[in-house]
Amino acid sequence: MRWAAAVAVLAVMGLLALATLGLFPRGPIPEWEGPTLAYGARNAVAAIVLGSRLWDTLMEVLVYAMAMLGVRMGMRTLPELASSRPQVAETPLLLKAADILIGVVLVFSLYLAASGHLGPGGGFPAGAILGSGLLLLALAKGADRLAEELYEPTLEGLEYGAVAVLVALGAATLLLGVRGQIPLVAANLFIGLEVAIGAWVVLHRFVSHRGEI
Amino acid sequence: MEGLTAALMAIALAGLGLWTLIRRRNAIWKLLGLNVASGGSILFLVAVAHRPEARPPILGMGPGPAADPLPQALVLTAIVIHFATLALSLVYVIFLTERRHTQDVPRLERPRRRR
Repeated sequence: MRWAAAVAVLAVMGLLALATLGLFPRGPIPEWEGPTLAYGARNAVAAIVLGSRLWDTLMEVLVYAMAMLGVRMGMRTLPELASSRPQVAETPLLLKAADILIGVVLVFSLYLAASGHLGPGGGFPAGAILGSGLLLLALAKGADRLAEELYEPTLEGLEYGAVAVLVALGAATLLLGVRGQIPLVAANLFIGLEVAIGAWVVLHRFVSHRGEI
Repeated sequence: MEGLTAALMAIALAGLGLWTLIRRRNAIWKLLGLNVASGGSILFLVAVAHRPEARPPILGMGPGPAADPLPQALVLTAIVIHFATLALSLVYVIFLTERRHTQDVPRLERPRRRR
């Protein structure tokens, strides 16, 4: 059995390697400056993600929201841990440092989301960075206290509101043919919001039902 | 040739993840193997986007040929979907552990004994 599995994995790897050898060297890419500018962007990846492949991005955001809904509803049936307060003694140093750093993280993620169509960045990295900032706060304060401050129903409303706004933006771009910088910036901001809230949902649910931070 | 080297390393990574996915019995190890294999697929897409002496596909960012923006956009999608599906499948592993008190997949696949 082990040998069969090894031979199968090696055969798949060999076939993939053979196919890859035919793929290289890669040819020149087609002209991309014009279409990128036509979508109102300077970053070609942003023009693809929020322009020519917008359906893809919309469905991806829907899949993300559905997975986070699954996490939320699945965890609801599991018993909650009695307490997820941090076991280590709280030091003012950690709390103060987290309070200072969260501002920097927030501003940086906003910058990445707002300038994602002009340079490196975009909504998804911005959301991931904001989620990591929330993780930092949860480490400093304990996830319970942070969850009380971040009132869950508002977050839920914001998440589904962000999805609705993204669908509306997609309709405006795809059906009405709206172009320009404003839809790109708005889409990046709302994608960042969606991703950050989803990351917080995963973090909070896993902490409050299993294990401690 | 950096692109080809990276692509072959990505295939090796995917094979490693696939081996873990097939041979390990623990469900969480299987998910970790799947994650490593997906890392291989992400590295493969990045390698496909690579061009010799390329610059990022952003207007006004240095001379030289640009990297292919399309695989990079696909990578963006792949990373987020991997994160979401991994979180969801971990929830299911927690369910299974709660109900059956094991994470051993052959034992989970055996029908439950009647009480």
